[in-house]
Amino acid sequence: MAKPNKILGIPRRNFYGIIVFALILSTVPALLRFNTYYVYLATDIILIASLVAAWNIIGGYAGQLDLAASAYMALGAVVTGNLLAFYGLTPWLGIPIGVLIALGVAVAVGYPTFRFGIKEVWYALLTAALVVILSRIYWLIYGSTETYLPTYEWSWFYLRFNRYEPFYYMLVVMLAIVLWINYRIRHSKLGYYLNAIREDELAAEALGIDVRRYKLYALMIYATLASIIGGIYVCITGVVGYRNFDPWLGITTAVMGIVGGLGSVEGAVMSGMILRTLEDYLRGTIGSQYPGSHLLVYGIILIVVGVLKPEGLASLIEYVKKRIPWLKS
Amino acid sequence: MPAILNLGISKTASIAIAIIVIVIIIGIAAYYATQQPAAPTTPTSPSPTTSPSPTPTKPKITEIKIGLIEPLTGTHAVFGQEAKQAAELIIDIINNELGGIKNLGGAKLKLVVADAGETPESAKLAAEKLIAEEHPPIILGAYISRLTAAVAEVTEREKVILIMDGLVDSLTEQGWKYVFRAAPKASAHGKSAVEFVMEMAKKKGLEIKTAVVMNEDSIFGHYVAQGAILKLKEYGVKILDHIEYPYDIADATPLVSKLKELNPDIVISVPYFHDAVLIAKTIKAMGFHPMFIAGAGACGYTDPESIKAAGEAVEWYTNTYSYNPARPTEWNKKIVEEFKKRYGKLPTEAAGIVFYSLMVVKEALEKAAEMYPDDPLNPDHLREAFLALDLNDNNSIAAQLYPTGRIKFAPNGDNLYAGTAIIQVINGEPHVVWPDPEPGIEPVFPRPDWKGGG
Amino acid sequence: MISVEPMLLVQNIVNGVFMGLIYSLVALGLALIFGVMDIINFAHGDFVMIGAYLTFLLATTLLVDPTLTAFITMPLFFVIGVAVYKGIIERVLGAEPLIQIAVTVGLLMVLRNLALMIFKAEPRGVPFTVFGFPINVGPITIAASRLVAGIVSLVALFLVHMLLTRTKWGIAMRATADDREVAELMGINVKKVYAVTFGLGISLTALAAALIMTFSRADPYLGLLYGLLSWVIVAMGGLGGVIGVLASGLIIGVIEAIGISVVSAGARELFIYLTFFLILWFRPRGLFGRR
Repeated sequence: MAKPNKILGIPRRNFYGIIVFALILSTVPALLRFNTYYVYLATDIILIASLVAAWNIIGGYAGQLDLAASAYMALGAVVTGNLLAFYGLTPWLGIPIGVLIALGVAVAVGYPTFRFGIKEVWYALLTAALVVILSRIYWLIYGSTETYLPTYEWSWFYLRFNRYEPFYYMLVVMLAIVLWINYRIRHSKLGYYLNAIREDELAAEALGIDVRRYKLYALMIYATLASIIGGIYVCITGVVGYRNFDPWLGITTAVMGIVGGLGSVEGAVMSGMILRTLEDYLRGTIGSQYPGSHLLVYGIILIVVGVLKPEGLASLIEYVKKRIPWLKS
Repeated sequence: MPAILNLGISKTASIAIAIIVIVIIIGIAAYYATQQPAAPTTPTSPSPTTSPSPTPTKPKITEIKIGLIEPLTGTHAVFGQEAKQAAELIIDIINNELGGIKNLGGAKLKLVVADAGETPESAKLAAEKLIAEEHPPIILGAYISRLTAAVAEVTEREKVILIMDGLVDSLTEQGWKYVFRAAPKASAHGKSAVEFVMEMAKKKGLEIKTAVVMNEDSIFGHYVAQGAILKLKEYGVKILDHIEYPYDIADATPLVSKLKELNPDIVISVPYFHDAVLIAKTIKAMGFHPMFIAGAGACGYTDPESIKAAGEAVEWYTNTYSYNPARPTEWNKKIVEEFKKRYGKLPTEAAGIVFYSLMVVKEALEKAAEMYPDDPLNPDHLREAFLALDLNDNNSIAAQLYPTGRIKFAPNGDNLYAGTAIIQVINGEPHVVWPDPEPGIEPVFPRPDWKGGG
Repeated sequence: MISVEPMLLVQNIVNGVFMGLIYSLVALGLALIFGVMDIINFAHGDFVMIGAYLTFLLATTLLVDPTLTAFITMPLFFVIGVAVYKGIIERVLGAEPLIQIAVTVGLLMVLRNLALMIFKAEPRGVPFTVFGFPINVGPITIAASRLVAGIVSLVALFLVHMLLTRTKWGIAMRATADDREVAELMGINVKKVYAVTFGLGISLTALAAALIMTFSRADPYLGLLYGLLSWVIVAMGGLGGVIGVLASGLIIGVIEAIGISVVSAGARELFIYLTFFLILWFRPRGLFGRR
């Protein structure tokens, strides 16, 4: 925790780490020979990885088991999508509006929730319920009709393309930004406070840390990132409807973060990528013969990780680091 | 890879890695730029199993891949699995009994299958995968409308013909060029249900004054209900209420209580499977006895599984179907027989649509070979071939499998002669009662437990 | 939709009360597990789902009324519960809540997809029950199956209440719930108490499933419906024992009925979860406090 020279507010080594990681990721489409299917898959994996990394701020750093990732993501998605579909508004404006609305919801829910000291399982259930509530409200307003976004061959203005490479690179940038924010938080006052809150909330409060305020900050940052990801997501899929509010996705995101090891953004990104890849792979192989079998395997992995390696994948990274001397800094 | 992130990489090391990575990117990009300049940017028109030959002479087509994208897993797997079974059967029949595509020298069809999963995202993924790996010129899918829309976005872009078995009206209203739908759309189901009831009432000299329409809240249920409401208004029937509910309700008692309270002459109900069992059982348990309860939209009430699950609670219920398993044509009887023999059950909606849709594909391929012998599988040529079809019972197998016996496509891809059949549960068995009843079967109308409208 | 027929409202509320009794029964198992063991079980609803399938299989092969199958499924589920406890739950006792949630979500996925693999997505129902007739009380109609389900739930709740307050096992459970270490010092075999509690909690879901199958159906996604709902009831009941769970279940049943009557059937979840928010915000210890 010394103070080495920093770049953009994060330690040099993390900064270079992000750059190198992003560069490696950017070779992926070429390695996949620009095959549409594989690039789509890669895009999807990066999207989930970004979402899990964003979740790490509330889940990993602040220690709040938030299951509403899909709520904030869907808010970004439906606002951006509907503005584009009905008013022809460019997502470049639609996404910021979506972020504002997601932020509003995050504050409206987060403020009283933290104010009244709701945590642990109750916070988890409350956020799970939030997804369902938003889904039903959207349903009451718009009904079950689904809106399709207009299609364009190649439009940066409307963020609609007939290929996935632009989305892929946008999301790589997004992932880099989310990682940067993660490191930035970790090495800031907010990060230290959050860490204290996660370790022992009562002790943190006794030390004079404004627990509610910092939890709310973490929630707001996370909601912002998730809704931006949602705005990009809707441009990829092109469908807007109440099903965007998917309780299952919120749970999966949290689960990936937990498997990755709490508080370790590297682990979160890694587990998001590995689990999503595995899910898609299994769906394509055994999934078509035995319906549901790919999710069954996924469930078994969860139990095994939870029972045997509760520290998650992060501990694996530590292990590798210890074993391979030349990787030590 | 992310392990690198939290390792302190020194500045020089990271610059070195960066340079290597950039060189790799440039290298690969350059390689592709020189090797196959068109490949990464423009999707080539799919030419299945034909190796790109340098000469423009027509390549011999021996096998044509037909894609099938259905929800094989998840909530809707029940449809996808049956559609897959039906497709396998029909492809076998086309290849073995009908000798493949005759106008293409007996070219065989090969079914390539992908799982659409539960979400538009997974459906899109399936479409991308199938097209990238197999290059089928024609794809059939994806039963659930929002999955179909997701697939259509890919097929439109890649110029692959999509034969839709999703029924929501809006699918053919998006201005898509390469989509066709032989099956009757959702609102046609609602209309048929009303037409059947009104016709029966007239026959029996009964008057229908009031109705309640209720549907599960999916976009499909919504369109079916809208079709029914329009038709009811046309007949001047007063609609007391239009109830929408989520299909996964735990308890139908509040719905049925409302029905009892409103006490309409007839109920038009558009359920999914789960809620259908629940509603029928609750109507029985609550003792609600209207003149008639007509289902619409081909899910629930009258399929064998629902009868098994709900027992006598679904007696006298009807539902509308895009396929008539009892249609007395030579090929229909034969295919139903083969299906029963192979899978030990009667074909229902999902299978039926696949039966005639795939037979239409066969007809279109024959037509394309006739019209464009040089390049029959070009998507624009295929589209012209589909539009040129005019099928009836005498000139095709496809029409023999279709409820109305006629298939001709409008420019938007819908069948101009779309129609449904109505099946009623009589003595615990599903029977086709309308428009052409099965031999020896009379529709039961009104419900025998009706208290005479008093 | 705005004006509400008073009779319809009363009818719906009566029905809501009976549904509430069944909800209480489902939630009771969860309340026991959470209260005594401090284990966060997200897979609770999925045990109801598995129970519903078992009821379907037994009732249709033995040709008996679904309610009778509880005599077989309850002991069976007790054994399954103990096995799950020994195999999985025991290893995450006292772990971070997040780990417990991850493990039980894993269990949920296994159970749900196992059902999907075996039974496909087709709904299964028991096509017969002796209670398939209506009972008319003045203008109010009650389905007999619902009445029976409600009464059986009430009896089961009463029996569990007696078990907790009057028997040696119940007292051991409550002592363990209050303070594990003290209980251990008092010579209570805590591990055994936990195993029995988990088994009992799971076997209650089997009873609920048997009752539900008299009027509903089994499908792989049934778990979601009852899972979250049970947690809402537990949140409301605080750890106020059987009475708290019963009262909360009834309140949820009635709120649901009012929501359906006043807005629409699609709004029932909205009402339930909004209530959940309000309870957590303003009565974080539940309506009925801690024991």
